[in-house]
Amino acid sequence: MAAPGVVQPTPGPVTAPGLRVFVGRPTASPQEAANWTRRQVWANNLHSIVGRAYPRVRGLTREPSWLVFQMLLPFLTTSSFVFVYRALDAPPAYIGFVVIGGAMTAFWLNVVWMMAAQLYWEKDQGNLELYFAAPMNVMSVLVGMAVGGLVMSSTRAISIMFIATVVFGVSFSISQWALLIAVFVLTLAALYGFGMMLASLFVMWGREAFHLTQLMTEPVYFVSGLNFPVGRLGFIGALAIALIPLAVGLDAMRQLAFVSTGPTGTPEPWVEALILVAMTAIFIGLARWLLHSMEERARREGRLTVRWR
Amino acid sequence: MSGSIQAPAIDARGITRVYKAKPTDVTALAGIDLEVAPGEFFGLLGPNGAGKTTLIKILTTLLLPSSGSARIFGFDVATETKKIRRIMNMVAGGEQSGYGILEAREQLWMFSQFYGLGAREGWRRVDELIDAVGLGEQRNQRVSTLSTGQRQKMNFARGLLNDPWVFFLDEPTLGLDVSAARSVRELMVGWRAAVPGRTVLLTTHYMAEADELCERIAIVDRGRILAIGSPAELKRRVQRESIFRLELDRLSGGPGGLARLPGVISAVAAIDATKDGEAPTRQTVVINLVLREDSALAGVVAALDGLGAHIVALAKSEPSLEDVFVELVGRGFEEDDRDEADPMRRAGPADRAPVEPHEAGQPDPGEEV
Amino acid sequence: MIDTNIVDRTTVEGNRFDPARARGRGTTDLVRSFRTAAALGWKMEANWTDPLLFFIYSVAKPVASALILVFMLQVIAGPSGIALRPFVIVGSALWSFVVSGVAGLAWAVLDDRERYRMLKYIYVSPSSFLTILIGRGVARLAVGAMGAGITLAVGVVVLGVPFEPLAVNWPLLVIVLVMGVVTISALALVMAAICLQTRQESWDYPEVVVGALFLVVGAVFPLSVLPLPLQVFGLISPLTWWIAGVRQALFPGGPSSIGGPGSLWQQLSGQLNPSAVQVVIALLVSGAIVTLASAILFRAGEARAKDRGLIDRTTGS
Repeated sequence: MAAPGVVQPTPGPVTAPGLRVFVGRPTASPQEAANWTRRQVWANNLHSIVGRAYPRVRGLTREPSWLVFQMLLPFLTTSSFVFVYRALDAPPAYIGFVVIGGAMTAFWLNVVWMMAAQLYWEKDQGNLELYFAAPMNVMSVLVGMAVGGLVMSSTRAISIMFIATVVFGVSFSISQWALLIAVFVLTLAALYGFGMMLASLFVMWGREAFHLTQLMTEPVYFVSGLNFPVGRLGFIGALAIALIPLAVGLDAMRQLAFVSTGPTGTPEPWVEALILVAMTAIFIGLARWLLHSMEERARREGRLTVRWR
Repeated sequence: MSGSIQAPAIDARGITRVYKAKPTDVTALAGIDLEVAPGEFFGLLGPNGAGKTTLIKILTTLLLPSSGSARIFGFDVATETKKIRRIMNMVAGGEQSGYGILEAREQLWMFSQFYGLGAREGWRRVDELIDAVGLGEQRNQRVSTLSTGQRQKMNFARGLLNDPWVFFLDEPTLGLDVSAARSVRELMVGWRAAVPGRTVLLTTHYMAEADELCERIAIVDRGRILAIGSPAELKRRVQRESIFRLELDRLSGGPGGLARLPGVISAVAAIDATKDGEAPTRQTVVINLVLREDSALAGVVAALDGLGAHIVALAKSEPSLEDVFVELVGRGFEEDDRDEADPMRRAGPADRAPVEPHEAGQPDPGEEV
Repeated sequence: MIDTNIVDRTTVEGNRFDPARARGRGTTDLVRSFRTAAALGWKMEANWTDPLLFFIYSVAKPVASALILVFMLQVIAGPSGIALRPFVIVGSALWSFVVSGVAGLAWAVLDDRERYRMLKYIYVSPSSFLTILIGRGVARLAVGAMGAGITLAVGVVVLGVPFEPLAVNWPLLVIVLVMGVVTISALALVMAAICLQTRQESWDYPEVVVGALFLVVGAVFPLSVLPLPLQVFGLISPLTWWIAGVRQALFPGGPSSIGGPGSLWQQLSGQLNPSAVQVVIALLVSGAIVTLASAILFRAGEARAKDRGLIDRTTGS
């Protein structure tokens, strides 16, 4: 080991003894190397999830600007809507609505920007073709991205919830903790399943998809009732609950976290939990199918690589 | 030996690939037939736009052929993609892929997970390969800070993570300086020496690289293979005479007498004056000899000896692979680059010289290797 | 054959380099750079295969932002909230313009650095980097202006906002709009400088920053609702005066976001609401300070990026 500051000369050409390191896992034939057991396939996919999540988790510690941009400033944005309600002398529960909405925004933005648009960016950077040329299922890559993204957005969500709860004195009235936790987990599963589904679509739609992510912020906030009970939107709200995981998850969590606010005109939390289960299954199933279709179509049309942006 | 015949490492038959484009579709491959034996270092040599990368993308399962079939060790590229991806890897030149926020070691570890290695096994393998490719000092450096050559070494290490049985290298030294390119070539050679029986398919438009590394080369142009053979075989196609350059201390009477010797087609002389520092200028006579065959040289040497001339230097000129290309197509690689810019020249195969592919010296399929 | 148009700007005497060749043409170059960058920015913004989608995208976002606030009003205040609609709709429309403008320059930096890998070539060209960035951002400002205008129109036509064109203070409107564009561009420059330092994932930073400013500028609620320390931030922000000025111009006599009973403004000035002249002067002074500060910050950010080799890096996770 060289002393600090001492630069070792770059090693010369690889010599015979060092060449042994080129042999990692010897196999007798390409047929043996190609035929994996089911266990090997599963292990490969699980390891790939961890592998793909790694850059996102590692990135959190390498560029600390997110502390300001992902925690402090979003809290201020949420606070704006708190003050709107305060200006209107709204009941305290509505402050809680806004706080939960602000926290869930973190996950939604992560799904839109870091999931839906991600494979499109990967194609731009030349990573997409490397993923498809590797033996793992590309769904593992999407799941890994989701896991990494969850870590990123959870920090934002928790900080908003905690700070806002303390600063604005939000008091929760929770009677069904298990259901609340289940709804929260299901909401995330449905959200990220939705993101995985969009990821494949966006690869094929290209730049149009990038613009479409713009549509998936304020318009979706509105129909999801990010800052007000979605039941007030009538038919639009009902449609949102049926289609948008953010809407149904938010409404269920609000009903469970603020029991004292009374009926909201929307389904019971356990019904919304079932909707989330169905959404999760549908979105993940669609994500698998779309990913496979996308790959086939991309291989047919030559869209896995990009020569010009 | 068990006597069983191993499938070819690469077996492509009638591969065509047409891209939909406006105003007319682009035919990138127009019927490629190719067979690469296991353990062979095979080169695809051709100018930009010849279809080399398209062919590699088909063989690496990233692209489907419009028609035809291809197999890697017997596995179909269209339907057995997973199996192929377990036994092959690819590295392209000019790659900017990767995550800049990660260190080189981490970047490689991430890919080790994609290729089926366990977590700890992955770190161990990555550390071994990083040292093997000469990136030891950069292992903890962020990918975004690596130089082009270092990045390509890292890519090369990535390509070796899964001990590929077939290694596809798509212009791997593109954009590298002389030293970095040499390092990468040495790695290729070193890897094959360490792990015999592995197959490499290299695409390049650097003739010297193909000449140096490849056991057999296919010359590709506009989606077709024009010729296949070893570098020596391909050069023999175009070299019908032997060309020598002799440097003599003197030559009395001029080269006329040499030109009349048996087997000599032409002899041209020139005075070459070189000044060596403060020393007086040294004059030599340079003779460019064109002979019908190498054996005629003996007669020339004897004649020169008889004239009292001493041979200071003797060198044989060999054609380059570009000479082979020019012979086959009627234009050079640089002309091709200029033609690329001229829309009138990109019309299609109509202006291509009709040439039958020549597979000089290819072993018979049934021949034992 | 040598193109004499090219030679016209080159004086080569006996193969010696003429330093005059390295001199620019001042304002002419700046104007040309700006125009070219603005044209490029517009081509990229308007690069849609379907113009309808482009329109929807430009309009849906700001209209939805306004509707969120309208529904919040509706939920709490019911029919009596209608009187506050002009207040929130104007604020929301203008705020979407701010988001668009600030994001424009920042996204131009990220786009050019990460996706098109052209930032380094732009940087080393003789054109002013600052001018090119601002030119690139103009297109998104224009798109934002269109969205804001349509949101206001929707508010008037659909949501019942009472609007009297004859009552509008047009001179005040023009003055504050022009000064507001300058201020927004200045803020955008600061975001661009920040994005030069950060990695690809900072796409949402402009929206996050603007979202935070949303708290203190009286966009959708009067400053008097805020604790006093936050009201101070509001009063020194040029965006606060800009929004108040536009509101005052469009709806003279309507509620002010700056003043009101118990507001810091009232405590400091003794007046309930600022006059038009006061708004213009405050906007001018605060805008000038912010513009100067942003120019300094941009240069500092640019120097830091150059020093650390960030201009041509690519990141990503």
